[in-house]
Amino acid sequence: MSRGRDIGEAIVRPRLTIPGRITLTLLALFGLLPVYWLTATAFMKKEDVFAVDRPLFPVDPTLENITGFFQNPLLLQNLANSVIVSTGTAVLAVIVGSLMAYSLSKFRYRGRSPIMFMFLIGQLIPGALLLISLYLMLSSAGLLYTYTGLIISFTTFTLPLTVFLLKGIIDGLPDDILEAAKVDGLSRLKTMFQIVFPLIVPGLITAAMFAFMRGWSDLLFALTLAGPAKQTLPAGLTQAFIHEGTADWPALMAASLITSLPLAIIFILLQRYFVSGLASGAVKG
Amino acid sequence: MIALPAILLFLVIAIFPLVSSIGTSLYDQSLLRPERTFVGFENYLDVWDEFVARVGTTLTFATLATIFPVVLGVSLAILLNARIRGRNLLRGALMLPWLLPGVVVSFLWAWIFNDSYGVLNHLLTMVGLPEVSMLGNPTGAMAAVVIAKTWNSFPWIMVVALAVLQTLPAEQIEAATIDGATRSQRFRYISLPHIVGPVALVAVLEFIYNFGNFDTIFVMTGGGPGDSTTTLAVSLYQLAFGSYELGKASAMGVLWLILLAIISSAYLLLNRRLEKR
Repeated sequence: MSRGRDIGEAIVRPRLTIPGRITLTLLALFGLLPVYWLTATAFMKKEDVFAVDRPLFPVDPTLENITGFFQNPLLLQNLANSVIVSTGTAVLAVIVGSLMAYSLSKFRYRGRSPIMFMFLIGQLIPGALLLISLYLMLSSAGLLYTYTGLIISFTTFTLPLTVFLLKGIIDGLPDDILEAAKVDGLSRLKTMFQIVFPLIVPGLITAAMFAFMRGWSDLLFALTLAGPAKQTLPAGLTQAFIHEGTADWPALMAASLITSLPLAIIFILLQRYFVSGLASGAVKG
Repeated sequence: MIALPAILLFLVIAIFPLVSSIGTSLYDQSLLRPERTFVGFENYLDVWDEFVARVGTTLTFATLATIFPVVLGVSLAILLNARIRGRNLLRGALMLPWLLPGVVVSFLWAWIFNDSYGVLNHLLTMVGLPEVSMLGNPTGAMAAVVIAKTWNSFPWIMVVALAVLQTLPAEQIEAATIDGATRSQRFRYISLPHIVGPVALVAVLEFIYNFGNFDTIFVMTGGGPGDSTTTLAVSLYQLAFGSYELGKASAMGVLWLILLAIISSAYLLLNRRLEKR
């Protein structure tokens, strides 16, 4: 039995030939060397990076670029803003999105397909197309340059994602559980909070983290809707380094590393949900 | 009832702005002055030439930045599907380029391509090749942003293709082998048709995302040199928040929206056909 499966496995999954190995190595190097260079530069001394005989690895590693980030009040404010806005986005997207997902998954009503269609289309709208109207709307609502305004705006691109992700998970819940709750006399809202949500806690966390990641990475909305005081890291870094003309590359790479770290941690925590989430096509950073 | 918050929120922050930009596009409106005047379709006439030029640049970027990640991602998936040591570790590590925020990806590649101190020119000099000025000339700048975007998005395609490869019909492949089909025949007639549909779907999706890309280009080239990498998103941003011409920028947005509707219907059609299968 297991021998038969091994043979099948060997056919579907053959060993790599020599040209295959070489190709794989080259492609993997293209994928990984830039990551190495990002990390290496972050720990290099400025004088080494700009020297004529530049080393390709941190011969004399330093933490000055990392500590420099944490001594810069402006960047620290950006970091704090990023944490607040991304967390807010994750919370809002999951609360609103899970209600929507539950409704789409377990109820049949008129307008259900158009709503699904609307969220599907919503994923395809580029941020730049919403920019001006969002700016004018937030401005007239007095929400321009506020955390609330940013969180609401970020929810445009996180909501479709959370809805589809959670709908997929709630679809997997057996209807019997919901019927049992109904027989026991629980209201719809109580069924949702007492039965459905506790069952999908891992899904809620996954959706929250995906929403967090996308809020964390956004540049366009932060650049235009956040203003100097509420700016998140991507916009803050862009203005601090690139627009000054001469870039302090080691400091910028250190800041980039710090900006990427939360996402790497989330990825490690969520690794097993990634493939299914990504493959469903609903998820893209 | 429970769906109401999501629908309202989405209507207000996504659908309404799309519709209201049609309104704005008919006015001469600027961030610099409070009042606006109705000008009809004048904005459209003003931005038309600019729009056509930007569509060309955007199409070039979006097409190249879709083809390369797809080829790379699918190749890696097929190679990683083989029995090799450290497969899972390698697959995990190759997700890193996708995890990094777009801004970080752009900083990193701008640094690699830096004329004077970049590692690319450093390596080229070390092996005795001439230096290249990537971000200094139009062709180089376009190549640079395409490479950066390719690096950023191949992991996504790789993961999707790997997931599809997990569902290959093993019995069919075994049967074909017993019937004497060679390795390349099995790939050509069984594996390939199996992965084409889903990969086409992510390719169209990737194209749509690239069409609206802002981070990579804005950070790496700012649309330059000249306007060689000024795509629709960058152009709209500059028009609205650089020249403060909200009316003209909205007109550009509406024209873009029409184009997007056409491209998106391709995605929706493909999506529907694949779901039926």
